[in-house]
Amino acid sequence: MKKAPKVNEVNEFLEIASDFEDPLEVIRESLSNAYDAGATTVEITILNRAGGSDIIIEDDGHGMNERDLESFFDLGNSRKTDSIGYKGHGTKIFYKSDRIEVTTVHDGTSYRAEMDEPWEKLNNEVLPEYELTKTDVRSGNPGTKIKITNFRSGHGFDAESLTYNKINHYLKWKTIAGSTAHYFDDDQREMEISVVLDDEIDDTQDGLVTDNRLTFPDEQLDPDDSMYPAERMCKHYPANEIAVEYDGGKTTLQIVGMVGGKAARNELPTYGRHSAQFGIWFAKDHIKVERLNEAISHDNEFIHFLFVANCQDIELSANRESIRNKASSVYKAIEEEVEYYLSKVTQDPWFKSYLETRKEAEYNRRTAKQQTSLKERRETIESDGFIPKNKAEVLIALERASSTSRGLSHTVEDYDPTADIHAILRQNGRLRNAAVFPTLTGLFENDVPLKNTDVAVCWTQGDPAILSEYERNGYYGGDLKFDVDDGGFEYENDGRQFVEVIEVSELLQGAAVPAADD
Amino acid sequence: MTENVVRNRFDFDVTARNGDARTGSLVINGTELETPNLFPVINFYAGGTDNSVYGGGIHRTLKEFMIGAERVGVEPMTEYFDASMTSVASLTDYNLNRNRYESYLDTPIKQRPLFENYNGLIFADSGGFKFLGGTDIDGSDFEVEMNQDAVYDIQEAFGSDIIVNLDHPIAPDDSHATRVEKAEMTAENIHTFLSISRGFDGAKYLTLHGYNYSMMSEFLEVITDSVPEGVLKEGFDGIALGSLVPKKDDRDALIRAVTDCREVMNEWGIGHWPLHVLGISSRAVPILAALGADSFDSSTHIHNAINGKYNESLMKRVDLDDADFSNCDCPVCSSDLLVNRMRGNAEYQKDVLGPVAMHNLVVVKDELAEIRRRIQTEDEDALIAYFEETFSHDKTMRQYAHKVVNQTLGGYF
Ligand SMILES: [Zn+2]
Repeated sequence: MKKAPKVNEVNEFLEIASDFEDPLEVIRESLSNAYDAGATTVEITILNRAGGSDIIIEDDGHGMNERDLESFFDLGNSRKTDSIGYKGHGTKIFYKSDRIEVTTVHDGTSYRAEMDEPWEKLNNEVLPEYELTKTDVRSGNPGTKIKITNFRSGHGFDAESLTYNKINHYLKWKTIAGSTAHYFDDDQREMEISVVLDDEIDDTQDGLVTDNRLTFPDEQLDPDDSMYPAERMCKHYPANEIAVEYDGGKTTLQIVGMVGGKAARNELPTYGRHSAQFGIWFAKDHIKVERLNEAISHDNEFIHFLFVANCQDIELSANRESIRNKASSVYKAIEEEVEYYLSKVTQDPWFKSYLETRKEAEYNRRTAKQQTSLKERRETIESDGFIPKNKAEVLIALERASSTSRGLSHTVEDYDPTADIHAILRQNGRLRNAAVFPTLTGLFENDVPLKNTDVAVCWTQGDPAILSEYERNGYYGGDLKFDVDDGGFEYENDGRQFVEVIEVSELLQGAAVPAADD
Repeated sequence: MTENVVRNRFDFDVTARNGDARTGSLVINGTELETPNLFPVINFYAGGTDNSVYGGGIHRTLKEFMIGAERVGVEPMTEYFDASMTSVASLTDYNLNRNRYESYLDTPIKQRPLFENYNGLIFADSGGFKFLGGTDIDGSDFEVEMNQDAVYDIQEAFGSDIIVNLDHPIAPDDSHATRVEKAEMTAENIHTFLSISRGFDGAKYLTLHGYNYSMMSEFLEVITDSVPEGVLKEGFDGIALGSLVPKKDDRDALIRAVTDCREVMNEWGIGHWPLHVLGISSRAVPILAALGADSFDSSTHIHNAINGKYNESLMKRVDLDDADFSNCDCPVCSSDLLVNRMRGNAEYQKDVLGPVAMHNLVVVKDELAEIRRRIQTEDEDALIAYFEETFSHDKTMRQYAHKVVNQTLGGYF
């Protein structure tokens, strides 16, 4: 007995509609459909509704016939093979609404399709139906109008967050409005896209009008004389068509892009964090799909780049968010070609000079910052005198004390700030192991082993209370007895040990102070 | 010495330029060599006595190809030996005694019956790298103290066409003081070399040591402290850039050394001299040629063969077992006898690997002929296209190829 596997149609529709979270994806889908239908203008209207939003999309394309309309509502029955919306999944997002109305005029016939409560029905495990009516009209005014009532966005999403600004960036970054095709093909059909939002959503402007071209910020090859001279630098890398042969065929890779500083990149539309936007994009239909930032192998420099590498042999996942045929030999071939092309860009002397300019500016800023902090440090010295703040300065003070006092003989022979015993001193001809801290307390706070410590060099004793606490509580099971004024402290633990303390501030005070000039 | 001989002793003419690359004609004692070109390393000592006939493994087989010995069954492959590199130190590879040493040096190489078919240029390195590089090889076997006088005597006795002074190569971790000291010792040798080699019939190259502009300039400053600049320029005909062998796999270092060397040469008014890069490996050859090096020497073809590697192209080597000899139309791969040997059917390893080394050499020499052709077009795109074809998808080399395209050929963008 043969059995055919069954499909639960309702669940399929639910599943696919749920795949789309962002109502803007409706717009992406519709723009692609409109372009495929030869439209030159598209108008999108979004109105705020209690549980979601109404979305109206009108275009002047050649409209749909009965079969096209079937594909619009059907699943897995797309008639398109080589156009942008060819998966046939996109329009199914409209099912997440209370009503779908499609009016379309094609070849002298007007079709009207209405579907009521699609979302509710799907959730009640009923497959929604649509009513199709047909009327003859005078030819000459083709076009399509789609009205979606009370579209339900994904969780936590509401229409009010859809500002013009956000929509503009989205359109330019993620949809055909951000196409780079015009860099390759002078005949790319222009499409005027206008968006009108309900005042309740955004009343800052009357509407938004844009085209279907992503354009790079103007070139600026030379640094300027601002504080960040590379920030607005920008270079275009002109459209390049590369024939790529791979195991089993040939394809064409179209690369265009720019390199630029932050200010130049800010002139580009973005959708999300910058670090998640810039870099090297693979595209299909000249719409960005997925990044290949490994193409720039060094130093995370991808942030300076926006390259779009288009190949029509890329296959997309149903929601257009990722590439499906990454394991194929065609993908591997274009991947390698993109990496190779980018290797030329990263070795371009202009790019290197751009990075160099950034580095130089950073260097100059550091210099300026140093001036400020040095000024403060010098003022501190002038008012408070020399006070060691770290081990090395304590040793400098020790050497200074020795050099200005005839009776003292300390020289620092060796200094390793990472060791427990930081220095080896020569004291009256003998080598001695010295732990060095600005205050004596630091030695105990840092758990310095005392067995090999001959001398503790410090600027001052530090807080005497802390020292007497150590005396009271002991140190690693041994007893401490401080007699610093008498030259050191005693440690008793499996034997008795005396550690000499050199208090450098005392030495320096005691040393001959050179006569002042005035 | 007639005037005619003097006039023909040495001549170097640049015939075409492309970026920093140049083609030229190097004429020494009537023998002409097209540049850029590769001098394969050859140990001529083979045949020191009538009985020994040939010495030393693959080196021996290569010489058989060179002279067209009956054993290899091909015509003399003279076109691939239009130049050769040998070293005074090669004599120390054999345990020569004093008598053998003296009798060997009796007859210049090209006058030996064995090499009557050989008419390439012979560049005799001073062996400084071996004698003075801290290894224990010296001339004590044949009771000769290896100093500048002895080295020059051997170079002359070989009948060399190009010779260099005995030098003290530097090492990457040499301190500044050590480098200066070595330059001073080399300067002394140069002084001696110039006074004893006045009657030499051939070209004299000055060894230059350093990894960058500053090191090379300083080297020349130190030299001219002992040898006046005018004397130096009068006495030498070319530059031999040394000390790069320890850096041969550091392409950035090589590019920098050659670029800076050319700059130093221009500043010292010797930019028209030929520049020979000592001991450079074959894959870097196109890059260095593009930067303006005129000649190189290499034994990479031999080392590859010893490691069982067959060059499918300059960039691609395969294991000998995987080699398809029918893809190559060189005289070696066109010979059934030699292909059979390369497949392992020979009694001695040198007869298996010798032909492989010869084939590998042909690949590099052919490549240089192609590079010369491209330079001669004087069309920068021709060289760029060469780099595209050669390095394009080789991830380890391409950034260096880009560097060269940017540095000398106008870049891609
Ligand atoms: Zn061959």
